[in-house]
Amino acid sequence: MTYILNRLLSVILTLFLITLVTFAVTNILPGDVAMMIMGTQSNPEALAGLRESLGLNDPLLVQYGRWIGGMLSGDWGNSLIFKKPIAELLAQKAVASAIIVVMSMTIALAMAVPLGVWAAVHRDKWQDTVSSTSALMGVSLPDFFWGIVMILVFARWLGWFPSSGFVEPSVDFMGTLRHAFLPSLALGLGLMAHLTRMTRSTMTGILSQEFIRVARAKGLSERTVIWRYALANAIGPVITIAGLQIGYLFGSIIVMEFLFSYTGMGWLTYQALLNRDLPLIQATVFVIAAVVMLTNLAVDLLYVVIDPRIKLG
Amino acid sequence: MKRFLTTKGLIGIILLTVIGLIAIIGPMVIPAEAGTAMDMTARRSPPSLKHLFGTDQLGRDLLIRVILGARTSLQIAVSAVVMSIVLGLPLGLISGYFGGRIDNVLMRLVDTLLAFPALLLALTISAVLGPNVQNTIIAIGVAFTPFLARIIRGEALRVAQMPYVEAARSSGTTDSMIMVRHVLPNILPAVIVQGTISLAFAILAEAGLSFLGLGTQPPAASWGLMIQASRDQLDIAPWTALVPGLAVARTVLGLNMFGDVLRDILDPRSK
Repeated sequence: MTYILNRLLSVILTLFLITLVTFAVTNILPGDVAMMIMGTQSNPEALAGLRESLGLNDPLLVQYGRWIGGMLSGDWGNSLIFKKPIAELLAQKAVASAIIVVMSMTIALAMAVPLGVWAAVHRDKWQDTVSSTSALMGVSLPDFFWGIVMILVFARWLGWFPSSGFVEPSVDFMGTLRHAFLPSLALGLGLMAHLTRMTRSTMTGILSQEFIRVARAKGLSERTVIWRYALANAIGPVITIAGLQIGYLFGSIIVMEFLFSYTGMGWLTYQALLNRDLPLIQATVFVIAAVVMLTNLAVDLLYVVIDPRIKLG
Repeated sequence: MKRFLTTKGLIGIILLTVIGLIAIIGPMVIPAEAGTAMDMTARRSPPSLKHLFGTDQLGRDLLIRVILGARTSLQIAVSAVVMSIVLGLPLGLISGYFGGRIDNVLMRLVDTLLAFPALLLALTISAVLGPNVQNTIIAIGVAFTPFLARIIRGEALRVAQMPYVEAARSSGTTDSMIMVRHVLPNILPAVIVQGTISLAFAILAEAGLSFLGLGTQPPAASWGLMIQASRDQLDIAPWTALVPGLAVARTVLGLNMFGDVLRDILDPRSK
């Protein structure tokens, strides 16, 4: 109980710090927000007017207080480019990104775990080289390059999947999945490398342990030994790495959603940044950081569930 | 030295040497105008003897642009990583060496920063400062700092508990002296390894930023920009994407391979 309470307090503190960092990055750095919105060529009076209406002339602390107060009371302000309440925009786009995040992580794990196990079982043989080389290739190309290759091969040449856009799941669920598939595959390839390496190294360690030899000596099939005995023990660290990669993933979806014109959170963030929509930048940056932090927390807790040897303390 | 001579190490060293030489010598031999010289009669021409890597939508030679882009990418990546080390080193060193409350406060801050995806942080900083080469360096440098600070802190924490540090402390050496003379040299290998691996990420980040229009600005040659330009002409000129894409891949692959071997040599515990 104390553990959960401590953890909860720490979450609140971190959320508070995240708002501080978000606010600092978007405000304290040199650069005039009004000028960012209107461009350097705009006339001084219009600039002054905009500054006044955005409340940019108030002290920073007042601006910060207003921002936090608004968020706590559910009023996240309006987007300057979309002319819509930010909370509404976020709710709309979050679904699209959630689909991509889950799908790409599933694809990455589905490729990385078997590949890593395969490499560990055939350690230092050609299978190991194939596995580590393909993992290295996956991580060495920028994921948007994979995205371009996907568009070229699967959308333009083969015509199997659409190359851009997003369909609401309530309208056409299969359509949603088809639109999400190529960006997820491209993201999955980028995520895979680390996971493959992690699976290989933990599996290698576990396969050399005593209980595996006992299991083999008992006459259990190799399949049972590897998948039921060894992998069950190796999956913990792999899940941890997968959780840590959520942060990386949320950076990558900005590029990928832009490339595929897939209108999710990443796309929204990019539009905000490109058009210097300050309230929207603050909101999206805050939400992404908060989601990353909470996912990491969830993974920590999940770890305890998966591995009974770990005790809360 | 011999231990670099694994297949992986050799490929890594060769790739990096070639790219490094191209980035340094290329811009000396090729006049800057050549990179933006347009040949309207040869727009989107496929690789040929005249244009070995083909040309882009404005008839600019892709071989020349990919060579000039090497300079841009490496310059930005190296400067950004140096910056993140300069910022992260004191942070991690102080945090790990002193521990206790200082460590708690600093690492709480670092952990908070780590919740922000590096690319998102870099994009935001670049958008706020206004995109250009210098601000791209700052954006990536700042975005990578928390990660490096975390790694360095862990190393400093380990070294600070070593008997020789204790000995220095009991003989009355000041903390700052111990940090510089005893702790720093012993964490340098880890810093070098992380720096090399971060370079690979910085190359990717620069390409990503430029791809999104928030990094290097046209008409400068940058790999990310070249890939961005190729987006609308994939069907008719796929080489415009492949040439810069493979340039990024070669560089990152070289850095990753070299980084792996370097880690095995300098930081054997992590094996």
